[in-house]
Amino acid sequence: MGNKQTIFTQEQLDAYQELPKRCFNKNNLAPLALPAVKAMLVGMTLPCSCAVSQDNPFRQRIAEVFSEHGDGNMTLDDFLDMFSVLSEMAPRDLKAYYAFKIYDFNNDDYICKSDLAKTVNKLTRNELTPEEVSLVCEKVIYEADVDNDGKLSLADFQHMIVRAPDFLSTFHIRI
Amino acid sequence: MQPPAASPGPAAPAGAELLRWQWREVQAPCLVAAWILVASLAKIVFHLSRKVTSVVPESCLLILLGLGLGGIVLAVAKKAEYQLEPNMFFLFLLPPIVLDSGYFMPSRLFFDNIGAILTYAVVGTLWNSFATGTALWGLHRAGLMDPGVEAGLMDFLLFGSLISAVDPVAVLAVFEEVHVNETLFIIVFGESLLNDAVTVVLYKVFNSFVELGPAHIHATDYVKGVASFFLVSLGGTAVGLLFAFLLALITRFTKRVRIIEPLFVFLLAYVAYLAAEMVSLSAILAVTFCGICCKKYVEANISQKSRTTVKYTMKTLASSSETIIFMFLGISAVDTSKWTWDTALVLGTLFFILLFRAVGVVLQTYVLNRFRLIPLDRIDQVVMSYGGLRGAVAFALVILLDREKVKAKDYFVATTIVVVFFTVIVQGLTIKPLVTWLKVKRSDHHKPTLNEELHEHAFDHILAAVEDIVGHHGYHYWRDKWEQFDKKYLSQLLMRKSAYRLRDEIWDVYYKLNIRDAISFVDQGGHVHSAAKLALPSMPSRTSMSESSVTNLLRESGSGACLDLQVIDTVRSRRDKEDAAMHHVLRGSLYKPRRRYKASYSRHFISPDKQERQDKEIFRQNMKRRLETFKSTKHNVCSSKSKARLKEKGRKKKNVSLTKETANGKTHRSVPWQDAAPVLVMVSSEEEESDSSETEKEDDEGIVFVARATDEVLQGKTTPGSLDVCPSPCIIPPSPTLAEKELPWKGDQADLAVYVSSETTKIVPVDMQKAWNQSISSLESIASPPGIESGPQHRRFACPVLEEQPQSASQAMPEQSSCFQFPSHLSKSGRSQSDSSPDGPEQQELQPLMATEEQGRVPPSAEPRWLMFNRAGHL
Repeated sequence: MGNKQTIFTQEQLDAYQELPKRCFNKNNLAPLALPAVKAMLVGMTLPCSCAVSQDNPFRQRIAEVFSEHGDGNMTLDDFLDMFSVLSEMAPRDLKAYYAFKIYDFNNDDYICKSDLAKTVNKLTRNELTPEEVSLVCEKVIYEADVDNDGKLSLADFQHMIVRAPDFLSTFHIRI
Repeated sequence: MQPPAASPGPAAPAGAELLRWQWREVQAPCLVAAWILVASLAKIVFHLSRKVTSVVPESCLLILLGLGLGGIVLAVAKKAEYQLEPNMFFLFLLPPIVLDSGYFMPSRLFFDNIGAILTYAVVGTLWNSFATGTALWGLHRAGLMDPGVEAGLMDFLLFGSLISAVDPVAVLAVFEEVHVNETLFIIVFGESLLNDAVTVVLYKVFNSFVELGPAHIHATDYVKGVASFFLVSLGGTAVGLLFAFLLALITRFTKRVRIIEPLFVFLLAYVAYLAAEMVSLSAILAVTFCGICCKKYVEANISQKSRTTVKYTMKTLASSSETIIFMFLGISAVDTSKWTWDTALVLGTLFFILLFRAVGVVLQTYVLNRFRLIPLDRIDQVVMSYGGLRGAVAFALVILLDREKVKAKDYFVATTIVVVFFTVIVQGLTIKPLVTWLKVKRSDHHKPTLNEELHEHAFDHILAAVEDIVGHHGYHYWRDKWEQFDKKYLSQLLMRKSAYRLRDEIWDVYYKLNIRDAISFVDQGGHVHSAAKLALPSMPSRTSMSESSVTNLLRESGSGACLDLQVIDTVRSRRDKEDAAMHHVLRGSLYKPRRRYKASYSRHFISPDKQERQDKEIFRQNMKRRLETFKSTKHNVCSSKSKARLKEKGRKKKNVSLTKETANGKTHRSVPWQDAAPVLVMVSSEEEESDSSETEKEDDEGIVFVARATDEVLQGKTTPGSLDVCPSPCIIPPSPTLAEKELPWKGDQADLAVYVSSETTKIVPVDMQKAWNQSISSLESIASPPGIESGPQHRRFACPVLEEQPQSASQAMPEQSSCFQFPSHLSKSGRSQSDSSPDGPEQQELQPLMATEEQGRVPPSAEPRWLMFNRAGHL
């Protein structure tokens, strides 16, 4: 992410420095906000500007989920939102919600088979045959589908996550 | 045990001897064998009583046993014999344990916590040894110790360095029985492994300082000490990595010499140990990293059997080494000639190591918790401090000290022995109650679910993506990079092509889950059977939502379940049909104890064991029976409603089939079934649960197929697909349209076809059988990923043309498919007599489409004969 031009004025930066204080308590402010702002200096529409070949399968998806308009262009607010979701202080349900959103590729509020197939394909880098993928997906849905509607709702997802104890504990990031 | 008895007095050299007493020649190995035997027998005795071993750790018992044996030896031989020799310990006893722990180290967990582990191992050990050494020196200066303890600061630091290192052997022995949660375990255990480098360096440096004398130490020596630390640790790691690479590379090419595959693993790891030891690098680090790093590739390369062999041999070696170490520790302690007791020194050491360990842990954790995502809480810290056990490494090191240089060696030996015994026995005994009392999070062995596996992977990638977006190169970033590098280059280089494809974890988990489900399903079948057919009610009770999914499926859908491991349960899955057909032909032929095997012996290849194969047959047969009864009892309960209708239908079909049957002249199989009356199975389309009311005839090994109609059936295409299993294809004109229109005709065929309805997408017994065939072979090592034996399945996937046949095609297919079934059966029967390679039939199955009409025609004539033959054999 090479270009280091500064497009913020000092006041803007200060304002943004203030922003997270509303979301976090003071202790947590420093480690989180500064790198974020620093990174933001790179440019407003950070993820999309890097149309570099996707070596990470989820990159684009994350940008889409966390950007306000769903187009993958993140504003600084979006950016900070992302960090508040990923911080240790964020409640479990919030994390679960966003994790769910990341999986929900077609934004229909359900993880259906096609969403899972996409995930599996991304994870395995298209190494499984379509049959295998569909088998895995069925199994996954089957495992977690409490209300038996053939797709995973947010409730299903949360239920599953509650069952696996250390699950969301890994869904943190620290900079 | 007794040293050489009167050796062969060559009394009569003149005459030729009939027998000669050659104790001297075999003495050494014989003693070794005897000791191992004693230790192993002791283990058996310990484990006779569950009560004792659940309270007292094995290591304690072994030490006590050693004390007893040592006493006996002392009493008999009048001098202490058979002690723990440092050389023997370091060269032979330690490597297996370290290799075992490295090889089976959960690498993901290890690297996730590498920061904490390294901190505790390096900083913690440094702190412990310096603090303990200095404090003891202070105690000495204060005049609290016996004046006989002639030691300066350097001696005490030396002693501190050897006494402060947490011992991997002791930690493993105790913690394995405590079952604390994985993170805690990996931190303590990882620390005990990695602190070896620190211990070795400190020990060597201080030893040389002591030898030089405090006066001759220059500043450069300190610098050298620090430098040697990096050299020893990094060098040891590098040696380990180098050998891991070599090992992986070698196993890539062992395809034709499967039988010696396991040997490479042990040899190279041992050579790594020796190489590191030779250049005085940290040998423990070398073996640990060799084990950790090679595992992934080696496991993928070597065959399933070799994997099992490696696993068991490693465990056996490690376990016996451990046993011997503890026993010899006990024995060595008896030797009072090395002891010189000093209460102040002993108590002081005990107090200081406990104190400084606790202080060190608390301080380091305080710092670490600022960086850790999941902080270590107070309870964890208590367990970590208390779990700092000392063991045989310290003892061996203290024995190695030079009495000339280190004047106070005897005091140190006594103290070390006391410390080791105290930590292993007292702390080992109390740590379990402590853990229970503190309610430390135990490791929960919940079954892995596919969801977890999937999401874990996804989260890894997601977090890496976030870091990528941020432009921050953190842990996830580097792991992601490493994985890509591994995938692109290392795996390509170090894994076989065939193995490489199979390495996908998600698929592995899926595979394992299916095996597990199949097993639990059959378990339940057996359970129900034995429980006097109380049957159904027990099922739901055992299946919570989180539990075995097969049973859930059964509950939900009534009857149909797909237990096949790899099969694709689409409606037109040809494999189902093929399997069904094959199953029926094979059914009569199983369980033939008198089959003849070629007696063959090869040093280089293991032929499948006769006994084993027979057992398998019997097992399979039993399993099948259980399943059948299970299924039928089940259906008794759940589908009485639909029975009447089905019976009617069955009767109708029966009539038709009777007439047809005579025409066909194929009575061989239908007869018992006809007598059995209301058999039948064609599923009416709107029914989810089909049924076979064949309950009262359990002895008649009728196979009850349970079918679940699928959507396609609902569309009214009451598939002629069902017919393809008919054993006499030639008689039936292969016209799908005809079959489609005429229901009775179809029913008839179905009857002839040994009652397989094949709109049934999900055929339980067949699939069960497949599942079993596979799981039998993989039962031994469910934990390891599907390796070679899953090859055929994948090959099947590799020809999707077969699977993806459009409905019409598969309708046209049936006759054909039943035709070309037989060649494969024949080949199978041929195989059973000639012991040909197991891949044969699979291969043939794969290319049924290529089968020509001629091929198709031959079998029907051959097949009945064959069946008769088998039948005879069966009777």
